This record gives sequence, structure tokens and C-alpha cells, in this order.
Amino acid sequence: MRTLSFRMLLRKSGTVESILAIALIVAILASITSVVNHINSQAKSMGKLLNVGETFLIISKNSTSITDSKVDAELVSLIRNNIDTRYVLPQKIFEAGLVTTSNRSTVLVRGVDTRAFLEARNAQVNGVPANDTQANVGEILARLVSINEGDEVNIAVDSQTVTVEVAGIVKTFTQSDTELIVPMSIANELTEDNVEVSFIEFAIEDGEQAEIDNLSGRLPANVKIVETQQTQAFIQDVNNQTISFLNLWSIAVYAIVAAASYIVAARLTIESCYELTMLKALGANPTLPFKLILSFTIVTALLGSVLGLAVGLSGAQIISSVTKWIWKNIQVAPTLEIQQTAQIILLTLASSILGSVYPAFKAMRKTYTELPL
Amino acid sequence: MRLVGFRYLQRQSLLFLTVVLLLASVLFSITAFGFFGFYQTFYTYLGEGDDVVVIYDKRSTTPFTGIIQLQLIARIENISGVLATSPEIIAPTIIKDKSVFLRGVIPEEFGKLNPLTIINGETLQLGDVQSTIVGKKLAETLHLTVGHKLLVLGVLAERYLTLEIKGTYESNSALDDEAIVPLYVGQWLRGADYESATLIRAKIDRSELTSALLYEAIAKAETPQSDGKTGLTLIEEIIPISNTAINPKNLSVKETQQFMKTYLDRYGVTPQTLLILSVIIFIFTSATVLGASHTLIRQHEHETAVLRSLGASAKTLKLDVTMKTLPWSIIASLIGVFVAEAMLLVVETSGAQALSHTIHFQLNPLFIALNILLVFMIVFSSVLRSAKKLTSK
Repeated sequence: MRTLSFRMLLRKSGTVESILAIALIVAILASITSVVNHINSQAKSMGKLLNVGETFLIISKNSTSITDSKVDAELVSLIRNNIDTRYVLPQKIFEAGLVTTSNRSTVLVRGVDTRAFLEARNAQVNGVPANDTQANVGEILARLVSINEGDEVNIAVDSQTVTVEVAGIVKTFTQSDTELIVPMSIANELTEDNVEVSFIEFAIEDGEQAEIDNLSGRLPANVKIVETQQTQAFIQDVNNQTISFLNLWSIAVYAIVAAASYIVAARLTIESCYELTMLKALGANPTLPFKLILSFTIVTALLGSVLGLAVGLSGAQIISSVTKWIWKNIQVAPTLEIQQTAQIILLTLASSILGSVYPAFKAMRKTYTELPL
Repeated sequence: MRLVGFRYLQRQSLLFLTVVLLLASVLFSITAFGFFGFYQTFYTYLGEGDDVVVIYDKRSTTPFTGIIQLQLIARIENISGVLATSPEIIAPTIIKDKSVFLRGVIPEEFGKLNPLTIINGETLQLGDVQSTIVGKKLAETLHLTVGHKLLVLGVLAERYLTLEIKGTYESNSALDDEAIVPLYVGQWLRGADYESATLIRAKIDRSELTSALLYEAIAKAETPQSDGKTGLTLIEEIIPISNTAINPKNLSVKETQQFMKTYLDRYGVTPQTLLILSVIIFIFTSATVLGASHTLIRQHEHETAVLRSLGASAKTLKLDVTMKTLPWSIIASLIGVFVAEAMLLVVETSGAQALSHTIHFQLNPLFIALNILLVFMIVFSSVLRSAKKLTSK
């Protein structure tokens, strides 16, 4: 009896209209989602065109900057033992007073193996890399505080002071152009600390990216690895911003799906009033109208969502083809991922059930002479 | 027979039609206001005045990624009618795991085009080598305060650096979502050399110069030796700028809004396409409105049958049903507009962004009028269609 009754409801004239109403709403969602997917995939592929870096930093987990980070200098050997590297550079960064013959200022000092560091930066050196009693000065800093190669400068941190000769002016096109670059021994003397460094910079050989996760697992809990070029993270964040707006917009769409399902269920109750009353009179379970109407709404929503996905996606593709034909520089390739398709169908079904429960419940309780609302 | 006094349509049924219309109106409004908010945010990204023009690399696929020679400033500054120039380099970065655009500028020159109100801390100088000033909204989003030190990671180049926040500013523009750094810091993060910028903005005297005339002047001009303390000499005090060949064929000069429009048009984002998209979405939801109208009429077939038997003509009945539903439809569309605006305002205040810039949603009278018109048309046609079916039985 149940199957026959359900078939009877499906044969009603309004069924096609109901499916179409749901399908059109889902089509909006499918087409917009597919276009957004295209935009996001374009952004991702643009990101892949860039030479993604192979340089990483090990800094302390709770630090917000490299100046407030402190890591154990012994981690250098852990990195070298676990991953093929082009270079590993422990570095110490701190602020210090710089006194020249004509100037007194606060500058950023970088303690590092100067030769290896300048090589890693492909630096242009006017002079030579600093030895244990010398310093290199970044080109911008040198101009700002009027330092020349061969000058003697004093560097002071609290009560510790050292005098060094400027071995060369360097240009790296990085922040080091505004820094004083000194050998680690001088940095240790100034900070009175031989154990810890601010961070460790290392560059890996090609094909070693997979090893980063392994290395990460071997590091102490108080440090973290940070990639210096964050192309994918940037693209991901920008894409998430678009998706957030799309999600809000989807709420309005699913609200309309729920309203449409309410209408479908209410209309079905009105148009099948006689049939439903007859079923009750013939001894059907009192909950049968509820089950029938709910099943009807689920089936129409399911068919509507599948049809809507097809219409939306193909519609978007047709429009993009026409657009491409008219304006050759606009190339849009709308696509939908399988999990998005499943998500749209499931959320449509959930919204439909939500929208149809009340009219289905009313249909169960009403008599022939009553109206559903 | 006049039916004005007969309240035969149940309020509950009318209310449901109103809710459906309201939802359709909300969807239309969110789409229209949302997409236009996005459009307007980027259309006005570099300012709104027509006396500011942009000199940029026309080969660039996005407004953020072009590269032009800084040496151009020497040419531009000496052209009669140019009041101020500001070279700018825009660098996408990651700060505190969030995407942020940093703008490298010569602060003294930049201030002539975009005066910034410093809320906290101090203003930025070109010689502030490890400092930045951050926009009000960016500071709020990332919880940044003056004195805070940041780790800035590059996106277009392998770069990392540490910057101290020297101040926070308010500009009431897209700049509030960005951070401003000295020009050379932007160049590091962009992976560019010291001779390059993303674009140069110039303030011009409209009575003397247009963008087309400026382009001609740039193409013709020889690089002169500047004698005063110009933008270029300010940079050269810090970093030497070498002479590089300038190819005017790669350059273009446009008003700021036209510059952004060029890029938006390139991706098919125009006011017309956005309007068409919004209307299509409304039309697609109209099937639900048709269903709701049909259901309303079917729910009242007994009442209409009684009225017909009392002598009401089909025409009178159709007209009366239409007149009774139209006020509700107008109310629904207006409430829909305001519900959508309220939702978008919540989204805006919670920090909704596109390309790391806050989207500003604004009520547009044209969309409100269009919304009412569309709702009116759909209700009128659907009620008429359903009533016609009913009265012809």
C-alpha cells in the first residue's frame, strides 16, 4: 500500500514543478561554486609557477619574531644528520648601540658565519667577508650612518663593548642591507651567551621537501620550522576568504531550498487531501501521510539537486565557452569537486527535510475538511 | 462587486508567501551588494580622485605584480602639471599566519597623495630601517600594537625579516588593511632590486595635464638631472639608483580608478556582469515564488469559489488577489534588502575580506528599486497565472 501510495503522489502534476524549483536553486549554487573553484585553482596554479623556496628557519615556538626567539645551537648537528642541506646557518640577532666617529645609533646586529652567510645571500661585497675581529655593514646602514670600508666602529650591548673594523660593505637585497653582520664569536661575546642562538636558517637540496616533516618530528617541542617563502599559505588564505563569503551566501540559498520544500510539501498536502484521507479511512497507519510527504520531499529534493548540479555546472560551462568565444582573454573553466557535489546534495536534502517536516506533520493530523495552514 | 472589505485570504498563508519573497529578496540583495562591494573595494583601491594617475607596467596580469623603473620619477617630476609623485611597491606577505599586503613607499612623498592619520605611535620615515606602520583594521585583526615585533615572510621571494610597529594609522580606505614600510623593505619582499617599483602614482593639475598627455610627455622626456630634494634624491640618499633604459611601450598611464577597472574588466568583473548575475539568481529563485503563489491560491479555492458564487467576476477576483498580495511583496522585498544588509554588516564587522582587504558593503538605491520591481513583477505574474487557472475551473 505504501509503495502504491507513494507512486500516486509522484504522479501528481506538481511533481515536475517541485523538482524544477529545487533544481534551479541548486543550479545557482553549483554554478557559482564551480566558478569560484576555477578562480581558486587559477590562484593555486599561479602559485605553482613561482619557484617555491627551499629555505627554512628553526625558531622557538612561542616567538613572534626572530629577535625574541632562542634555540639551542646544538640543533645544527640534528639538522645536518637528518637532511641533505645546501647550508645550515645558526644566527644570533639582537639590537646594539653602534658608535662611529660621527654617529651614534641603535642597529640590528646579526651574528653568523659571515663568509657562508654572504655566499648564501649571493651578496655583492665591497671589501671582504669579516673575520673574527671585523664586521660587515649593510649598504643602506652604511649610507645612513656614514660608514666606509676600513672604518673602526664600537658595538655595545649593555655593559659589553667591542671594537671592530669594517671589512666590507655588503648588498644582499634583504634586511641584512640595514644590519651590522658580525662573526658569531663577537655576537657571543656581546650577548655573553655561547649556548643559544636566535634561530637556525637552512636550505635543503632539491627533492628533500618530504624530509622536512621527518625533521620536524625529531625537533624538541619548544621549536618549530618555518618556510621563508609562504606562497601556498598566502594563496590558501586568500582562497579561504572567498570561500567564507560563499559559505554565507550559501546559507541564504539553503534557506530558500527549505522554503521551497515547505511549499512542495504544503502544496502536495492540499492537492492530495482526498487521497490521504482515503488512505486513513482504508486503515493505513496514521503516520503514513507524514512518511509519504517526507519521502516525496526527499525524492524531489534528491532529483532536484542532481538536476540542479547538472544544469548549474553545464550552464556555467556553456556561458564560459560563449564568453571565451566573445572575449578571447577571458578563460573560465568551471569545475566541481566530488566532495562539493556530495556536500551540495546532502545539504539540499537536509534543508528539504527541515522545510517539509512541519507540513508533513500537519498532514498527518488534519482531517479532510481542514486546510494544511 | 467590490471585494476590498472581504478578508478571505488567511494572514498565515500571506505571511508564508511574504517569507518566500523575503528570502528571494535576501539572496538577490546579498549577491548584488556583496559582489558590488567587492567591485567597489577594488575599484577605489588606489584612491578615488580623478587628479591622481597611475604609471604602471601594462604587461602585468594583476595590479600588484607589475614592475617599472624608479628612474621614471626623474622624468615625471619635471613635467609641468605634475604636483607630486609616489613610487610604490606592493608585496604580498604572511604575518602571523595571515595574508597581508605590505606597501613599500617613500613616506614623505606618499603622504602628499594619501595623508594618513596616525592613531598611535609615530609616523614612518624612509630611514626607519626596521619599522612599519600598520593600518587600523590590520592592527585590529592581528591584535598588533605599537612596539610589537613581527616576523614577516615573503610570498613572491624567499625573504624573512623582522619589523617593529612604529605606529598605527587610519586612512578610511583599503590602506587600513595594509602595512606601510620604507620602499626598500617592499623591494626586498617583492624580490625586486633597488631600481624597481610596482607603480608610480602622480598627482596632477587637471587644468594642465591629462593621463594621455602625461604618457606622451614621459615617452618624449629625457631623464633630467634633478636639482631639488625630489622623491628620487630622497631614495638616493639611502640607496644608489642606477640608470636603466626605459621602454615607454611597456608603460601605461591611467586615472587610479580606470587603472583598477582595466584589471577588473580583464577578469570579466564589470558592473553589468554582476547585475546580470544577480538578476539571473533572482529569476532562478522565482520558481519557488511561483510555487508559493500557486499554493496560496490553492489554499483559498473554497473562499474564491464562494465569492464567485456570490457574483464576483474572474477579473475582479484576480485584481483583488493581486492588490492584496502586492503590499506584502513590497514589504517583503524591503525587509529582504535590510536583512541582507544587516547580514553583510555582520560579515563586514567580523572581518570579511577579499584579497586580504575588507569588503565594504553599501546600500545601492538602484538595486533596492530593481529588487522591488523584480518582486512586484514576479508576484503580479504568478498570482495572476494561478488565479487565472483557478477561476477558469
